[in-house]
Amino acid sequence: MAAKTEQVPKIMQQGRLTPWLYLLPALVVMTTFIVYPGLNTLYLSLRNIDDTAWASAACITGQPCWGIFENFRYALTSEIMQTAFLNNLKWILLMVSGTVFLGLLIATLADRVRYESAAKAIIFMPMAISFVGAGVIWKFVYDYGSGQVQIGLLNALLVALGGPPVSWLTEPQVNTVALIVVGVWIWTGFCMTILAAALKGVPADILEAARTDGATEWQVFRQITVPHIMPTVTVVVTTMVINVLKIFDIVYVMTGGNYGTEVIANRMYIEMYTSFQTGRAAAIAVVLIVVIIPAMVYNISRLREQEAIR
Amino acid sequence: MLDRKSIAPVVVSLLLIGLVAVACAPAPTPAPTPVPPTQAPAPQPTTAPTAAPAAGGIDCAGAKKGDTLSMLYQWSGQEEARLNEILKPLVDQCGIVLKPESTRDQALLDTKVKAGTPPDIAFWNTAQLVQYKDKLVPMDTLGANRGNYADFFVTPGTVDGKWLGLPVKADIKTIIWYDPAVFKAKGYTVPKTWDELNALVEKMAANKDVPWSMGLESGDATGWTGSDFIQDILLVTKGPQYVLDIISGKVPYNDAGVKQAYEIYGKWAKDPKYTVGGAKGTLSTAFLDAIYKVYSDPPEAMMVKQSGFAGGEVAKKYPSLKYGTDYDFFAIPGAQGLQGGADWMMAFKDTPAVRALVTYLTSTTGGANWAKAGFDLSPNKGAAGNYQDPALIKKGEALANTKGFTPDIGDTIPGGFGKAEWTAIVDYVNGKDLDAALAAAAKVQKEATTK
Repeated sequence: MAAKTEQVPKIMQQGRLTPWLYLLPALVVMTTFIVYPGLNTLYLSLRNIDDTAWASAACITGQPCWGIFENFRYALTSEIMQTAFLNNLKWILLMVSGTVFLGLLIATLADRVRYESAAKAIIFMPMAISFVGAGVIWKFVYDYGSGQVQIGLLNALLVALGGPPVSWLTEPQVNTVALIVVGVWIWTGFCMTILAAALKGVPADILEAARTDGATEWQVFRQITVPHIMPTVTVVVTTMVINVLKIFDIVYVMTGGNYGTEVIANRMYIEMYTSFQTGRAAAIAVVLIVVIIPAMVYNISRLREQEAIR
Repeated sequence: MLDRKSIAPVVVSLLLIGLVAVACAPAPTPAPTPVPPTQAPAPQPTTAPTAAPAAGGIDCAGAKKGDTLSMLYQWSGQEEARLNEILKPLVDQCGIVLKPESTRDQALLDTKVKAGTPPDIAFWNTAQLVQYKDKLVPMDTLGANRGNYADFFVTPGTVDGKWLGLPVKADIKTIIWYDPAVFKAKGYTVPKTWDELNALVEKMAANKDVPWSMGLESGDATGWTGSDFIQDILLVTKGPQYVLDIISGKVPYNDAGVKQAYEIYGKWAKDPKYTVGGAKGTLSTAFLDAIYKVYSDPPEAMMVKQSGFAGGEVAKKYPSLKYGTDYDFFAIPGAQGLQGGADWMMAFKDTPAVRALVTYLTSTTGGANWAKAGFDLSPNKGAAGNYQDPALIKKGEALANTKGFTPDIGDTIPGGFGKAEWTAIVDYVNGKDLDAALAAAAKVQKEATTK
């Protein structure tokens, strides 16, 4: 091989096209399965019930109409969707705080006991159960017997203690919370595992130094541990927010969205496959994506920051 | 060395692209059921003279040995076995290979139809006849025997003047199940008029016997038992034409008559004096459990309004009970015409095998075989006199003598009305204002019926 004058050997230089070649398979897959369906959903959300005309065709004279955005009028202003938005908000507030708080608590406590891995395994176990399975299990826990016998665990306990049984899944004041408990039960293990990993990453010498200097355990936790694991907590919180916004299985299995427990994703399924309102289902899907995007963007930017630190 | 190194990644990525491209390329549209071109324009029985008269007059309509017939239906287990029993003469005679698929998931049918790969034949609800009206092959072009069906079975299957589907299996809903032994012991008699039913309910309540067992819970279909009950009340108070007018949109769902029916239902469904557990019991009891409560020991309730299938459920749960003495039913007194559920046969393709199936099932032989297999009721006139099971004989007579047959309102109006109707019932029983609940359902009804 004849020596060249270039500083970098030619073989190490990339042609203009090479990166694109590497990217191409991923791009093809993404276009086929994400970009195209996404754009098609957007298109369908502007169409009528069975994609035969624009959504404005569904307008009834004398009633409010958003023209081509008629499906979005339904997705944003209809009574059932308002219920769904409110319930999703409840889910976010209670389930995200519940899972992260319990996950952190258990991770911190388990860090200090000998049977740590056994304890964690038990807490993590529900994660291995499918949501549908968990829904069925908890449906039995919440079962309300209209007769004398209570086969539901909770109501059996209540009755044994002398109280009246509660119809957990149909009472509008408690049913959404009852469903959120199931979500927390499933997802706490996930939060615990990630937070536990972060806890192990807190340098032991700092903790030891603090304790030597006379800091109480609470001060150590509050002023050293928490700031150290804060980036992880943020990622866990945003991941959970995204998860909870998409919550579907638990609601579908346990109440079907009845009794005022409707959530966005369940409504999307019902519009699509029970009512065959393709346009409305697509509009709800678009709304759901739009709501999730900020959480995703934030999540990715935090991940990037963490990468940069490493 | 160098050359090979530089080429390797390119080759690999090219290979990957190739793989992906192949995977993504639209698969060559598989001709779903190959229709031999020569067979296509040969519908008349005359083209298959050798096959027509044999085996009790089964007409193969030109179907050849090895022709496949794909079907999608909701039946499974014993139901599927009975269907196979009914179809056996056809399969034996014509050599058709059945390719059935059983699912309760309507999404599957919808996905298949949208993807352009529908089954040859689907057995589903009336609403699908409207939903897929542009894709279905009319029954008369497939050789269906119109003469074997009463008008009220053909009309609901006719969309825009085209006869797109017919009910192969029916179940009557306008009946009440009870325990004759308990009735006898407690001195209750089967009511003959609606007023007598009302009086009986009050008498039971006064005796501290709970008259009704109700259960709305049924997964994502929660509420359907209530919509059946309310439609039966409408058949008593208003009659079948009123129900058909609701279906066509002429009568709004928040009409005074509907409201009255809800109030009659609600009076019973929300009060622990009239139903097990009151409103909470009605909401959280599964529809099957509601049936069992009438036959538990001691019985939790005296009566349950449930379709014909309830008898089979009682027999399964309490095998020692005997039909006629331990469990029986009576038609809702005063109801004008019956409400019924039916599985509708619809054809997405026109092939000789499809023609053979449609011809067979609508023939007198087909109706008789359906009745003999005991697969619920057949609206086919050929079924008369062929039922074996005593409960089916009684139900079959009711169906054969009825003056009208109204389909389920919620199953028939498309565009989500069924769900809206259930929601109205569930919300009403759960304490929501009745006017608001009905207005919400009426809004969906209006959207679905105005074109």
